[in-house]
Amino acid sequence: MTVSMNDRPLLEVRNLAVGYEARGTWPFGTRTVKAVEGVSFDIRPGETLGLVGESGSGKSTTGRAILRLLPVLEGSIRFDGQDLSDWGKQTPLSYRKQVQAVFQDPSASLNPRQLVSHAIEMTLRRHGVTKRSELHERSLAAFEMVGLSGDHLGRFPNELSGGQQQRVAIARALVLEPRLVVCDEAVSALDLSTQSQIINLLSDLQQLTGVSYLFIAHDLGVVRHIAHRVGVMNHGSLVELAETEELFASPKNAYTQRLLDATPAAHPAGREERRAHRLASRTAPAA
Amino acid sequence: MSETFTSNFHSVEAAPPQRSTNLGRILARVRRQPATLISFGFIVLLAVVAVTAPWLAPLDPTASDFDSVLQPPSAEHLLGTDDLGRDQFSRLLFGTQIVLLVALGAVVVAAVLGVPLGLVFGFYGGWWDRIGMRFIDMAQALPGMLIGLTVITIFGRNIFILMIAIGLIFASAFARVTRATVLGERGKLYVEAAEVAGLRKPQIIFGQVFPNLIGPMITQAAVFLGSAIMIESAMSFLGIGLDSDTPSWGAMLSLAVEKQNVAPYLTWPPGIAIILTVLAFNVFGDGLNDALTGEKRRNAPRIRGGAPRAALSTAASRATQTADAATGATSQALVLEARDVTVALNRPSGEQVNLVSGVSVSVGKGEVVGLLGESGSGKSTFARAVLGMLPAGTWLADGTITLAGEEISHRSAKELRHIRGDRLGAVFQDPMSALSPVHTIGAQLIEPLRIHKGMSRPAARARAVELLERVGVKNAAGRLDDYPHQFSGGMAQRVAIAMALAAEPELLIADEATSALDVTTQSQVLDLILDLRDEFGMGVLMITHSLGVVAETCDRAAVMYRGRVVETAGVEKLFDNPEHPYTAALLAANPVNAVGQDRLATIDPELRAVIDASIDAQAKKEAVR
Repeated sequence: MTVSMNDRPLLEVRNLAVGYEARGTWPFGTRTVKAVEGVSFDIRPGETLGLVGESGSGKSTTGRAILRLLPVLEGSIRFDGQDLSDWGKQTPLSYRKQVQAVFQDPSASLNPRQLVSHAIEMTLRRHGVTKRSELHERSLAAFEMVGLSGDHLGRFPNELSGGQQQRVAIARALVLEPRLVVCDEAVSALDLSTQSQIINLLSDLQQLTGVSYLFIAHDLGVVRHIAHRVGVMNHGSLVELAETEELFASPKNAYTQRLLDATPAAHPAGREERRAHRLASRTAPAA
Repeated sequence: MSETFTSNFHSVEAAPPQRSTNLGRILARVRRQPATLISFGFIVLLAVVAVTAPWLAPLDPTASDFDSVLQPPSAEHLLGTDDLGRDQFSRLLFGTQIVLLVALGAVVVAAVLGVPLGLVFGFYGGWWDRIGMRFIDMAQALPGMLIGLTVITIFGRNIFILMIAIGLIFASAFARVTRATVLGERGKLYVEAAEVAGLRKPQIIFGQVFPNLIGPMITQAAVFLGSAIMIESAMSFLGIGLDSDTPSWGAMLSLAVEKQNVAPYLTWPPGIAIILTVLAFNVFGDGLNDALTGEKRRNAPRIRGGAPRAALSTAASRATQTADAATGATSQALVLEARDVTVALNRPSGEQVNLVSGVSVSVGKGEVVGLLGESGSGKSTFARAVLGMLPAGTWLADGTITLAGEEISHRSAKELRHIRGDRLGAVFQDPMSALSPVHTIGAQLIEPLRIHKGMSRPAARARAVELLERVGVKNAAGRLDDYPHQFSGGMAQRVAIAMALAAEPELLIADEATSALDVTTQSQVLDLILDLRDEFGMGVLMITHSLGVVAETCDRAAVMYRGRVVETAGVEKLFDNPEHPYTAALLAANPVNAVGQDRLATIDPELRAVIDASIDAQAKKEAVR
């Protein structure tokens, strides 16, 4: 995985604030709750940026704002130099073509009543591919790229295993040859042995196509393996952003340290010391 | 990209890999519901009769014959004649036409009015929804007959007016069902995925969401057809439906009631026709709904006769043979000893499969034993067998479960409840589903203490506060009167643990107890379980899919795959020196172990073949024995 440091960032997020409309006290009034505030980061071409944090930390909200599923309240998101808020409520097709997503629950992200080939073909058709033969060819190519065969095209989502469903979702995201894919907990719902296959697949595809990933996950082990740089979110803000190994080796932020301490180790060795250490830090009046 | 990836593990529960369309599957399910088939057959018969009535009917249904008035059934008039000498059999056949036509027309009117309204309310939401739904509420509050009566009174009697009148009654119900389905689908990930793909709103609504509406709509329509027939009959019976000359079942019934004393035979044919038809549509609608949603109401097959008891003796003798092989903790006092536990499931097709086959796991006093496996490996089913809470359709087919020296596997439900309350504690993945949302946590903690420990109310309350404090709930006395939803996920799981501890259990079963929690909360809850183990000396069965949880907490662990334990070992040995290829493969697939490597180890087809072969060999060896 080669990331050139000199490249201009593909995605520039500056001082981003994203919020939800919540029902106010008066039945018909609304107020805005900020789920993310003051978040800034870049993603370079061919790079994987990991975004970790606990539930409610705002990591998925950030991803959804980049996908334009949520409006930006403050700050800016620039993709390839273009400020997204210039478009208002509309999202040009060219942006959709370049920025795609893979979601957590593969069974929910595919329409249960449609053949999986339909998911790919409808995407292609919307982006100007109309010839039947070309539709089929490109769907097949996308499926083969993610390790599925043409036989899988004619199936319904519930006839595929969780890992295969996630491959379909990845094929759908990559069929348009995007430059950025937001992977929102893309491997969290999968079993360990399936998870490792999907992670390998994502790295392979990155090498092949040079796509960038925003890899949102709560599992530090997975992020450590796949990400070049990692951002840590807590309570809606980005508390630390560093090169992956630097972050894991010497975390600067107290919350990052706490997150690392809490992550179960891969081997029982030294667990008594770890437990004692956790106990000590918990009883200490830090909080 | 050289390797060909395959699906994840074929679990025992996974359906056989057959290519079938959705429609084919639905039909297959319908085929397994005799009641649905029979009612469908009846509906088809009705339709055939309705179409062919002019040819089937021996006489004109409206032709009066004053020479044969109120004749009882005879060869000439199969069902007799009415007060105008009209042939009842012919009227019944032609009545089918009217009844189906009115019902069908009414449902079409209802759908045409209701579905678009529901779509608009569901999609646009906001003010459209708030005001529109209030009107629907009002419409639904009005008695259906009253609406029908009003329409008929204003517009006069006529088959089309009747359709509209009855259709109006159901339109609001169609709108409701449509709106509910749309609201449910709108939030789904696949709709977001379509949006990210750049699809336009109408494309998403009609191409993505609408197909999901068809199933519930058809079901609704079938049920409404039945109701529409009933309403049409009722209106005709009351004389506010079609004019009395038109052969309608309701009108026939009305006349029959009038002439009950002189011609009792008139009541039966229309009465039975109405009952059977309404029933057929309702049963068919219900069955269709089950087939579409794929939910079959399984009748729990009870343990058949003495089979398990017979199995018991063989299992017991086998247990002695394998005793030393299976446990590594024979010297310790065992709080749980499960031997050769086999849990079977009856497929709807009648075929029997084992979800858990011959699993032996033991937990010593003060020991934390892990049960590690991926989804579908049978680990949770095993836990439910130990708890005596196997889901409907599954049963303990073989094996013994001993808890603190007492055999519990074949006790009655009442005895089991007592043992569970006294000696077993369980914590599950979702604390919110383990706690009742309508009772305060105080009530939920105090009640079992009073029942199982016979405490007085004040004593139980004091103990509850003590327990909550022990699991780390701050201001415990004040929080006793809070409801579960007032606790965060981590705190709710602490409360669930306090409940499990209330009985001072000898064995705590933690079934994915920390899987839904954030890592910082997970480590706190795991530490809490370890602290409690140190303090009370209970055994813990830690069921998890996470290698990390096993590494951090367990003394020993059993690895499950395809319903079997493939390896049981001390935790250090398991991680350093796994014996079974499956365990080794799992460890290698853990990304934490592969820092700095480009690729993760996966279970490729060859490796899987090796693993599966070893499992099959094990199964064969057991079968021989």
